Amino acid sequence: MKAQARLVVERDQDGRNVVRDLRSMAPITLVPHRSRVRSANEPALVHLVSSVTAPLGGDDLELVVEVGEGAHLVLRGVAATLALPGHLPGGSRARVRIEVASNAGVQYVPEPTVVTARAHHEAELVVELAAGALLRTREVLVLGRAGERPGSLTSAVRVRRDGGPLLNQSLRIGAPELDGSAAHLAGRRVLGTEVLCWGEDPVEPFSHDWWSLVPLARGGSLATSLAGDAVTAQTWLDAALDVHPGWRSRVV
Amino acid sequence: MDVSGLLLADSRFPGGGHVHSGGLEEAAARKLVTGEADLASFLVGRLRTAGELAAVFAAAATSAVQRGKTHWLELDAELDARTPSPAQRKASRAQGRGTARAGQRAWPSPVLDRLLADTPRPHHPVILGALTALAGGEPQDAALAVCYLAVSGPASAAIRLLGLDPFGVNAVLARLAPELRDVAATAAKTADHDPRDLPAPGAPGLDLLAEAHDRHHREEVRLFVS
Repeated sequence: MKAQARLVVERDQDGRNVVRDLRSMAPITLVPHRSRVRSANEPALVHLVSSVTAPLGGDDLELVVEVGEGAHLVLRGVAATLALPGHLPGGSRARVRIEVASNAGVQYVPEPTVVTARAHHEAELVVELAAGALLRTREVLVLGRAGERPGSLTSAVRVRRDGGPLLNQSLRIGAPELDGSAAHLAGRRVLGTEVLCWGEDPVEPFSHDWWSLVPLARGGSLATSLAGDAVTAQTWLDAALDVHPGWRSRVV
Repeated sequence: MDVSGLLLADSRFPGGGHVHSGGLEEAAARKLVTGEADLASFLVGRLRTAGELAAVFAAAATSAVQRGKTHWLELDAELDARTPSPAQRKASRAQGRGTARAGQRAWPSPVLDRLLADTPRPHHPVILGALTALAGGEPQDAALAVCYLAVSGPASAAIRLLGLDPFGVNAVLARLAPELRDVAATAAKTADHDPRDLPAPGAPGLDLLAEAHDRHHREEVRLFVS
């Protein structure tokens, strides 16, 4: 299955964040939240729903998101993604591209991705931030369902701001010699990462044995956790958010 | 392998690499590595992540000198973006500075002057790759040298920290030979790519170990700087 979905959010004359363009394509279904009248400054809230079991082997999915000047978007998943093997060769791919204009912000928070046995999945997130744009994105990768050996996953995250690179990381999961190595995943089943370019960066790293929040070299910060289960991995990412100076003093 | 690679990968090369354990000291302190089997697993993980990243940038720097390119600031920024841990960036730049100092005496060149004017504290793989070219080596020589350093430093640290048998540890390193060749050869293939398109293998375990080591290093006595 090949699919391309698109979402554009802008700030209107009254300062409200409005969804200007929204094109879903199965299996990527975008559901804007319209249950109440939004006041100015409240971010647009859109849920990301998978309407068909995906990604399956052979799938090629792309989501393009644009957030216009001064606008704010929260894009949330509603259920865990299960990367599954399919009957087609070549594995599955999911790409998300997000462009954020100046003084705009996006929170992209999908639910955890579970890499099931024999799946072969590539995920890519590319974010282009204008100067002064804000970003928060969380990724939680789970190595197989309970008692299951994981298939293989490569997850790449690239964030650039004002044309320069802030973060470029490509993580490989599902190679036993790497999963078990203390240098890589240390035999832990869940890897959580969270990128925060949200106001003031931490000056010093915060570190505990299995999670940390570190300032990146050229702005922005990264939280990392390695845990035995997804709840713990996310609790540690929450702990990292709690000590992030820019996030703690956020106004939107 | 060219003699430039031998010189730069020699543990007696005066670049200051001997004070770094590559995360092994923290892993040993937490009992994540206790013997030869865990050490082999640690080294394979290190080679295929941090080792591969270093190899990619070392090969790219050798190629840059060979092609007359001077995009040192861009290589520096791209390697920063692939090194989220501040402790690892610090360790890379400390070794880079030491390597540059030794290199200025051994292979003086206007190319090196330009590199150090743009990046006075260069990342270790970048300066090592540039020196390899100045000494007459190829991208693959630089890649193999940094791959070897990525595992030989932690391996000798394991002998000192865990009291492992030096013959056994040497055999562990010898068994890594096919993987070392493989990672270096793969890294050499991307040597002439645009810096922003270079591979970016991450290592969450090493990042967490490096930060924890840095914290403990400030609080208590540790043998190695990283």
